[in-house]
Amino acid sequence: MTPRRVAVTGIGLVTPLGTTAPATFAALLEGRSGVRLHAPPEAPGALAVPAGVCDGFEAAATLGRVKAATLDRYSQLGVVAGLEAWRDAGLAEAPQEDREGWGVAWGTGVGGVLTYERSYRDLHLAGRERLAPLTVVQAMNNACAGYLAIALGLGGACTTYSVACASSAIAIGDAFRRIRAGTSPVMLAGGSEAPLAYGVIRAWLALQILAPGDAQSAPHACKPFQRERAGLVLAEGGAALVLEDWSRAQARGARIYAELAGVGESCDHANLVRPSVAGQARAMRAALADARLTPAELDYVNAHATGTHDGDTVEIAALRSALGERAAAVAVSATKSALGHPLGAAGALEAALTTLALHHDAIPPTLGEATQLDPECAGVAHVAGKALRGARPRAALSNSFAFGGSNAVLALRTRA
Amino acid sequence: MLDTAPAFRFVEERLGIDVRTLDAATELESLGVDSLSLLELVFEIEEKFGVRLDERTAPPRNCGELAALVERLTAARA
Repeated sequence: MTPRRVAVTGIGLVTPLGTTAPATFAALLEGRSGVRLHAPPEAPGALAVPAGVCDGFEAAATLGRVKAATLDRYSQLGVVAGLEAWRDAGLAEAPQEDREGWGVAWGTGVGGVLTYERSYRDLHLAGRERLAPLTVVQAMNNACAGYLAIALGLGGACTTYSVACASSAIAIGDAFRRIRAGTSPVMLAGGSEAPLAYGVIRAWLALQILAPGDAQSAPHACKPFQRERAGLVLAEGGAALVLEDWSRAQARGARIYAELAGVGESCDHANLVRPSVAGQARAMRAALADARLTPAELDYVNAHATGTHDGDTVEIAALRSALGERAAAVAVSATKSALGHPLGAAGALEAALTTLALHHDAIPPTLGEATQLDPECAGVAHVAGKALRGARPRAALSNSFAFGGSNAVLALRTRA
Repeated sequence: MLDTAPAFRFVEERLGIDVRTLDAATELESLGVDSLSLLELVFEIEEKFGVRLDERTAPPRNCGELAALVERLTAARA
């Protein structure tokens, strides 16, 4: 029996470049940056770092003020993205009896950290002894998934993965397997993150891994693959995909963006923060094998590339190891150069962008000049500075590599 | 006569709902206030008026009951 195929039929995005998927993708292709200098409003002292902030996002506009006020910002971002994906898939009128078997698979790294931080401020600084009654349900890491299931009436599995920067790629893998196994024909999968709390920024600064920048340089502070790369840029955002059994999607005449064809996972089992060529290559090979793709069929990789010195070098080495001679011909870009790194939401965001790249035959660029590329990151066909259109990519990988050594790679194929 | 103005002003501030559309019979649920947001709303009223409700107090269901609650709390504080 031929295994079930999985279609991507809906996409929703809230990012520093736009409050919808089309707005984000268009801005990305134009080479715009969503990064700016950000000063966390509750910081006790002066602090400003380059960050990807969803400035145009108003949760109340979609959810109403009452509902929006009961959700942490990470949930607001995720729910609005999830609802967009659902509308985009044309499932708004799907009968409730069908929805009872559909589910949600979500990912977030730091979940409701803004709620925790506000609570600690109230307790430790303001000396208050009472917290708002919804503190627990706002802060919990599965609040976003739970609210999406309620809003859409989804009665199947509702899961949340917290695997640092691979969280939502792993969630998409979970959804993919449920559809392929025939357990659930429709899954809403994605992730969201709102990590721009004062304490979180301080913690990342302590790790000495954030890219520096002032008001003028902030938009280009994240420089993946460039010689002068100096670290990552934190960002917030929400990203959701509707994944659907291929035959079901075809039968209802749904627009199919692309096929989610395979998932590969691995663990570096070496170091909590230092990435491993072998571990990453193992996940890429596993994704290709799961998708029954050969390196020769692969045309694009949306790299994890956060803009750290070692991370980017290791990823290119892993690509060369996994793809062999084919690596030199594969288009590679790092969309974090424009959007920053939304941690647990990054996997879903980049899976969505990879899907759109295949669908529109337009590969978004790594921002920055091609002449600035680091020779240590050579050996692949970098898409630098300008989007690549008309290359007719057949298949792509979306890479997500997490602290802790967890790697998740998604393989997508152009609709055939 | 129940003075609804303070409670309605609170609803307008917190929920962004035009007071002119409210009357005593307006169900809070119709304004999007479910059981969770009602918990939050009552907490904010307590914080605003600096009092604690008896745990046995039934939560308000409509704007009239909300106004009566606010009036009682205001009186208790005075």
